[in-house]
Amino acid sequence: MIKKPFQIGHRIQFILSVLSLVLIALAVLPVFLDGTPWPVHARNYLETNGAGESGARNLVSAIYLGYRAFDTLGETIVLLVAVTGTIGILTKAGAVLMQDSSKNQHLSGSAFALPGEKRKSNYMRTHLLETVTGKLGPVVLLFGFYVMLYGHLSPGGGFQGGVVVASGIVFLALGSSSLTTSGIIRPEILSRIEALAFLMLILVSISGILLGKGFLDNPMGTSSIIPAGFIILLNIIIGLKVGAGIGFMCIVMLGKE
Amino acid sequence: MTIILLVLILGLGIYTLVSKDLLHGVIALSAISLLSALLFYILHAPDVAITEAAVGAGVSTIIFVWIIRHTERKDQQ
Repeated sequence: MIKKPFQIGHRIQFILSVLSLVLIALAVLPVFLDGTPWPVHARNYLETNGAGESGARNLVSAIYLGYRAFDTLGETIVLLVAVTGTIGILTKAGAVLMQDSSKNQHLSGSAFALPGEKRKSNYMRTHLLETVTGKLGPVVLLFGFYVMLYGHLSPGGGFQGGVVVASGIVFLALGSSSLTTSGIIRPEILSRIEALAFLMLILVSISGILLGKGFLDNPMGTSSIIPAGFIILLNIIIGLKVGAGIGFMCIVMLGKE
Repeated sequence: MTIILLVLILGLGIYTLVSKDLLHGVIALSAISLLSALLFYILHAPDVAITEAAVGAGVSTIIFVWIIRHTERKDQQ
C-alpha cells in the first residue's frame, strides 16, 4: 500500500525523462544532420581586428569586456542578485537549520565545518584539513589574482580569477584555527568589498559617457601606453566582485556568521 | 583521448544517478567536473576549463556538501 505511489512516481519520472530526451533530440539533431556550414563572418573579423581594436591578445577577454561588455554588466548584476537572494534565504532558514541540528546532534557529525561552530557538532574535523587548507589558501589566492590580472594575455579573466579567489578565501576560512586570524574571511568585510566593486563597475562604465564616448566604451582609447588598460581595470573590478561575492556566500553557508 | 574522457564522464554520471550515498554522488560529480575541465583544455578552450574546474569542482561541491551536512546519513527505516 505504501509502495504504490512510489511506483507511479517512478513511471512518471521515466515518461518525463524519455520525453525530455526526445525534445532535446528534436532541438539538437537538425543542427547536426543539416549540412549548412557554420557562419564565419564574426570569427574572421575578430581574428584579424580583435586584438588591434581592444588591445587584448586573449580574444575571449576582448569579446566579453570589449565588444560585449554590456552582457558582462548584466551577468554581474545576475550574480549580485543571486548572492543577495541566497543570503536572504539563509538568514531565514538558518534559524530552522540550527534548531534541527541541535535536536539530533549525533547525526550531524561532519569533517567539513568551520571553527566558529560548536565543536560537538563537528567532532570529525581533523588537523589534516586545518593544516592543508590553511597552507594551500594563500597559494590559491595568488593564482586567482594572477588569472585575474593577466586575463587580457593568457586564458582567464575576471570571472575565472574571481572564482579561484573565492576558493582561496574558503580554504583560508576552513584552515583558520580561530575567528580573528585574517580579515579577508570575515563576512562583513567581504560584503563591503563586493558592494564597493559593484559601485566601481558602475562608475567605470559611465566614465566613457563623460569623455564623449559611449556607455562602457574605453575612455582612454587604444592609443594609450597600455592599450588593454580598460580591460585590465574591468577584470580587476569584476574579479574582486565575484571573489568577494561567492566567498561571502560560501562562508555564510558553511556556518560562519 | 576524447572518447576515453567522454566514456569516463558517462560512467561517473550514471554512478551519480544510481549511488545511494549522497556524498559518493557529490564526489563523482566533482570528478566529472575535473574530467570535463581536462576535456575542454584538450579541445582548446582553456578559459572554459578554468571556469569548469573552479566552479564545478570547487564551489558547487562546497554547496552540495553543505546541504548534505543537514541531511541524515541513513534511511529512516
